[in-house]
Amino acid sequence: MTSDLSVEVGGLELRGPVLAASGTFGYGTEVPLLERRALGAMVSKGIFLKPRAGTAPPRIAETPSGMLNAIGLQGPGVDGLIRDYAPKWAAWDFPVLVNINGESAAEYGELSARLDGVPGVAGFEINISCPNVEQGGMYFGNDPRAAASVTEAVRRRTKLPVWVKLTPMVSDIGIIARAVEAAGADALSAVNTFVGMSMDLNAYQPRLSFRTGGLSGPAIRPLAVHLAHQAARAVDIPVIGVGGIMRAEDALEFLVAGCRAVQVGTATFVNPNAIAEVHDGIAAFMAAKGFASLSELPRYLPRD
Amino acid sequence: MWRLFLTDAPLVERRGVARDMWVLGFAAPEIAASVKAGQFVNIGLRLGSLLRRPFSVYRAEGDRIEVVLKAVGVGTAQMLAMREGDVASCLGPLGCGFDLSRPAKSVTLVSGGLGVAPMPLAVRDARAAGLHVTWVHGARTADELCSETDGDDVILATDDGSAGFAGTVVAAAPDADLVLACGPNRMLAAVSQRWPQAQVAVETYMGCGTGVCLGCAVPLTGGGYDRACTEGPVYLAADVDWQALPSHLSYAVSA
Ligand SMILES: Cc1cc2nc3c(=O)[nH]c(=O)nc-3n(C[C@H](O)[C@H](O)[C@H](O)COP(=O)(O)O)c2cc1C
Ligand code: FES
Repeated sequence: MTSDLSVEVGGLELRGPVLAASGTFGYGTEVPLLERRALGAMVSKGIFLKPRAGTAPPRIAETPSGMLNAIGLQGPGVDGLIRDYAPKWAAWDFPVLVNINGESAAEYGELSARLDGVPGVAGFEINISCPNVEQGGMYFGNDPRAAASVTEAVRRRTKLPVWVKLTPMVSDIGIIARAVEAAGADALSAVNTFVGMSMDLNAYQPRLSFRTGGLSGPAIRPLAVHLAHQAARAVDIPVIGVGGIMRAEDALEFLVAGCRAVQVGTATFVNPNAIAEVHDGIAAFMAAKGFASLSELPRYLPRD
Repeated sequence: MWRLFLTDAPLVERRGVARDMWVLGFAAPEIAASVKAGQFVNIGLRLGSLLRRPFSVYRAEGDRIEVVLKAVGVGTAQMLAMREGDVASCLGPLGCGFDLSRPAKSVTLVSGGLGVAPMPLAVRDARAAGLHVTWVHGARTADELCSETDGDDVILATDDGSAGFAGTVVAAAPDADLVLACGPNRMLAAVSQRWPQAQVAVETYMGCGTGVCLGCAVPLTGGGYDRACTEGPVYLAADVDWQALPSHLSYAVSA
């Protein structure tokens, strides 16, 4: 038996539930060896209106079952993206969402307006959760009013699907989730990295030049499953689970916890074919359990 | 673009080449057949640390590649605990290697400590290009010198004078048409002072090794950063902003 793995997520029809997470797949032009048939969609590296150099090295540090990163949203800016990458995306057989960033709500709106209608751009993932920038980033993501105003600013400027990527660094993710749903978000990605720190015992200072970094990888998985589940319980729009997925079983945990789809990030660094292996593993699980489509997979979503 | 391979490579050999310094040989035929001097492989162990670790390819012969390492932390200790037949996942060849296609008659290879790593392949490729090869290799003490140096001329140097030239490799090295160097970033900064046109293989932390994570940033004198794993790890010495490149990598000690 082969099961139907296609899903509808926040205005996009996807051929599978496994997506490439922002910042772990570049602009999709440089991941070698991945069998792209398995890719439901890709979220681009985060982009600002203007080019950004990013943070000084060291930018990454490995930690138990995870890694800290402080890349600082290095990127070519919207003009470079439109010139160098969007034309390639337009020819691909899976949708590409652009992870958009700004220092003010107006900047997010401006960025989405610039990208709206550009062939190859299928939608937006608003990043209000980057821990590695001095201005904006995560600080929009832990205030429901700021999160809603950024979402509205983008919603007003585009008809394309608008997803919002939530930060785990909040005391109640449900409040932020409801605020951005009310502001017009089509889906939520939960979650971005957790803020962490690690010390260099030779230099007596942080291992990262930015001092702190975003923690990703299997170390955060149970935390992320819980937060994605809480977000899914709080809203009616679909939630895309992100955080520490290495294998199909990990992705299935997010799906059973109430997510419509998942994103795979750090695992791609470890295994360049991780996304395909997660996709195929989900297919094998569905077939073994006799589910004809993902809508038949039982979800644990108590509403009380 | 060359082809990239991901292969489960069994350990086929292990030998000591200096105090605490080991060469591991893995059967990885496709990588062995295509790797160029200065390129690297990203090696991961299934039950080891999460991220792969980059290693310059030391030698490639038949279906085998070799890498050189020291037990500096948990990750490398796990690799050294491998037994013959145990499998490591090898991704490679990665990065841009040394460019030996420029018109030249002679080359000086300058290596410090584990910076020997890309040099045996550099000797191979330089000989194939018909160059006279001088390899200058240095370490802190005599017993830390790699025993497998090779070339038309070999010059050894130690910081404590216990073997060869007493002083740095940069002071000991003769000029040549081409200079290729690998070693601690501090040593490479000194190389760049003397030979701005040298090709140097830098060391950085890496996340993916394939160009997607931007974790391996190398600061450039022209401004901005690029990726050691993709545009590098070999740079023209004058292009690297040595002040801004971390001079020692803590995970070499702690991870
Ligand atoms: C090196 C790196 C860069 C990242 N860059 C971005 C980014 O630009 N925008 C964003 O929204 N998330 C970014 N993330 C977060 C990931 O998309 C993802 O939310 C997080 O890593 C958790 O998933 P994982 O454990 O599967 O990696 C980045 C993560 C890493 C490791
Ligand atoms: S190590 Fe990921 S881009 Fe170089």
